[in-house]
Amino acid sequence: MQVTTMSFTVEPCNQETVIVRIGKALDFRNAAEFKSTCQTQVRSGARNFILDFSETGILDSTGLGSIFSLYRQVSPLEGQVVFAAVSRPVQVVVQLTRTYKVFRQFPSVEAAEEALQ
Amino acid sequence: MESVKQRFTDLNTIIDGVHSLFDQFQMSGLHPSLDEDAVLQAKLAVHEWTANLVQHADFEGRIPWVVVDIWTEGDRIECVIEDNSNGFDLERGLVERANGLSSIPERGMGLLMLKACTSRLEYTKTEDRTYRLEFTVNGGQDPCLDIPFSS
Repeated sequence: MQVTTMSFTVEPCNQETVIVRIGKALDFRNAAEFKSTCQTQVRSGARNFILDFSETGILDSTGLGSIFSLYRQVSPLEGQVVFAAVSRPVQVVVQLTRTYKVFRQFPSVEAAEEALQ
Repeated sequence: MESVKQRFTDLNTIIDGVHSLFDQFQMSGLHPSLDEDAVLQAKLAVHEWTANLVQHADFEGRIPWVVVDIWTEGDRIECVIEDNSNGFDLERGLVERANGLSSIPERGMGLLMLKACTSRLEYTKTEDRTYRLEFTVNGGQDPCLDIPFSS
């Protein structure tokens, strides 16, 4: 079942994997909502998160912190957080913080889905 | 030297306003040879500072105002952000956050991102008792915020 919050849409791929469509921004204004949305998914059994950044113009330090929080939650469960269709503004943050060392990136959501199957 | 400049008085809408200002800066056609990543780094730096103002600044009951001014000098982007808050000990904040950065940190990265993106960063109190952040972002650079990824 697709779940839509104020800022994000969550679509299940399979029992353990979900796609989170980030939308226009993940920043200090909606990072708490992102964390809460992801926590709900983890409680429901999701371990792998594909973050779709195709429409995202803003990723700031608080938004990145909320992704790190998700990573801390799913790592002990042998889950993964991966980035898909990364927009240029998000890529600038990824490059600045070298977070490609932690989060695998895929050119599209479909490519990420295939890799996580 | 032409700049884009805007005064903001509503902290609820300033973030979207700042991003629109950068869109205006990019679409003005005045800076065709400017490195796109440098523009995005400057935008991130302004976003982090204004986010810091929205979340933490003390305006002591005054109607807040923030003025953002952006222009170029060759391949450099220059930004000035002035506000009427009570200011902030930026130097101390940077040292504390750098020393306190944990592995896979969930917070404390904003000012460090701002510092990492900029080649010159100055924060001063003006004669009018306002606070002024000035910084430069150089084109063609690959700035790095060194985040610890393992314990």
